Amino acid sequence: MTDSVRATPDDATLVRIRGLTTVLNGKVIFDALDMDIPRGKITSIMGPSGTGKTTLLKHITGQMHADAGSILVNGENVAGMSREQLYKMREGVGYLFQNSALLTDFDVFENVAFPLRQHTRLPEVLIRNLVLMKLQAVGLRGAARLMPNELSGGMARRVALARAIVFDPMLILYDEPFVGLDPVALNQVLKLILTLNRTLGITSVLVSHELAAVEQIADHVMLLSNGKVVAQGDPRTIASDGSAWTRQFFGGEADGPIPFRYPAGDYATELGFAEAKR
Amino acid sequence: MNQHTPQGNNVVTQSLTQIGNCGLFLLTLLAAIPRSFRYVRETIRQLWFVGAMSLTIIMVCGLFVGMVLMLQLYHVLSIFGGTSASGMVVALSVYRELGPVVTALLFAGRAGTAITAEIGLMRATDQISAMEMMAVDPIAYVGTPRFLAGLIAMPLLCCVFCAMAVFGGHLVGVTWLGIDNGTFWSNMTAQVDVRTDIVNGVLLKSLAFGAVVSLIAVFQGFTTPPTSEGVAYATTRTVVASSIAILALDFVLTAFLM
Repeated sequence: MTDSVRATPDDATLVRIRGLTTVLNGKVIFDALDMDIPRGKITSIMGPSGTGKTTLLKHITGQMHADAGSILVNGENVAGMSREQLYKMREGVGYLFQNSALLTDFDVFENVAFPLRQHTRLPEVLIRNLVLMKLQAVGLRGAARLMPNELSGGMARRVALARAIVFDPMLILYDEPFVGLDPVALNQVLKLILTLNRTLGITSVLVSHELAAVEQIADHVMLLSNGKVVAQGDPRTIASDGSAWTRQFFGGEADGPIPFRYPAGDYATELGFAEAKR
Repeated sequence: MNQHTPQGNNVVTQSLTQIGNCGLFLLTLLAAIPRSFRYVRETIRQLWFVGAMSLTIIMVCGLFVGMVLMLQLYHVLSIFGGTSASGMVVALSVYRELGPVVTALLFAGRAGTAITAEIGLMRATDQISAMEMMAVDPIAYVGTPRFLAGLIAMPLLCCVFCAMAVFGGHLVGVTWLGIDNGTFWSNMTAQVDVRTDIVNGVLLKSLAFGAVVSLIAVFQGFTTPPTSEGVAYATTRTVVASSIAILALDFVLTAFLM
């Protein structure tokens, strides 16, 4: 580890983002974004579609690199890490994909056992017990021998969660964990996220649009728009903080600071009316 | 003409870029071989999928190629009274050209497309990203085992194809058309040279074709846009690019090995 990529870990902040700037296909996704994610808390990142919430998670895990700025995870700069350092860091980070991303060749048991088999030389009996413990925690011990295509959306999400916590990570990133779930499955996932945070102290970053769900479990909410954090605060009060951003986003208004129309040239010119007038 | 030049240049540039990227990808795959040694079981599993599962099509096609070749040759050679040489000509045609080339084309259609589609769908469903997030190198775990499996399977499949083609030729020539069994085998064994025909023809060519087809299949899988349409185009590109590469490489190898 070089000195350039190591910084002093801050006890209160697990992820520190400074001046993050990302431009994709000419569109500014992040514009000198600053953000602190507190250790041991559930932080929810909200914002309109296409605002870069998933991209932000990819930056935190080093799956994508920014054009400028720094991201410190537990005091270490993700951008300066070699592949080996990045993989080492990821062993301490769980990631719940929007579509669960279970390995379709393996059954539920082998999906959860996969990281253990890849990174440890534990005896089979220990792997078996560890996997069954994680599956018991998400309520799916009885589904250990089912294949991913035999699971409902909620069950697949819970299996992915069991796989994400198999190494007891310091940080879990949830990318839209409630999308497509019925109320029962949603509450099950909600309860699991809360339990993991409160009992194991795992820092959680939750990307979601479901304010009702976020209100129940998040300690802090950040609203992203136009590449910056435009509002943040307590999830129970942020919707009524009076700013135009929060009023539009949480009120579901079609137009406002978050524009209805994608940037485009002059309408009349594009239709050919301007030339006809001449 | 002028209007078409930029587009033509663009296609040439894109093709050259693809070939360059494919070459760089080959280096990545080769560099990952030491890391993929811990995934020997995955390589064996892939060997089963691309090798053993391709056996039926290879055996059936080999049989029919040998049968039709013997039928054609018998009628041509009978004009000159040289039907006793049919077995030898079937064997030389199959060992030197038809065996490696047809096996590789069948392999590209059966196993190459399966590899591309599987990896492409793994990307589309975030399985590759999930591996990255679990600190598992997808090139070493997914790419290299499939590449090595193709490399190992192709010469073996080619041997099976050749054996079945000779058997098909024997079936038609000796059993059906009445060529003497002893003449069939003695002419063949007298003319077939182990180094020129078996090592250079069957083994070296099929090894080279196996490497090219597997490389193209894995490369297309890893670089396709992760969408249904992207995967569909990638599988088509695997067949097209593999077929062109096999036939072009066959010419180059034949020129050098003869």
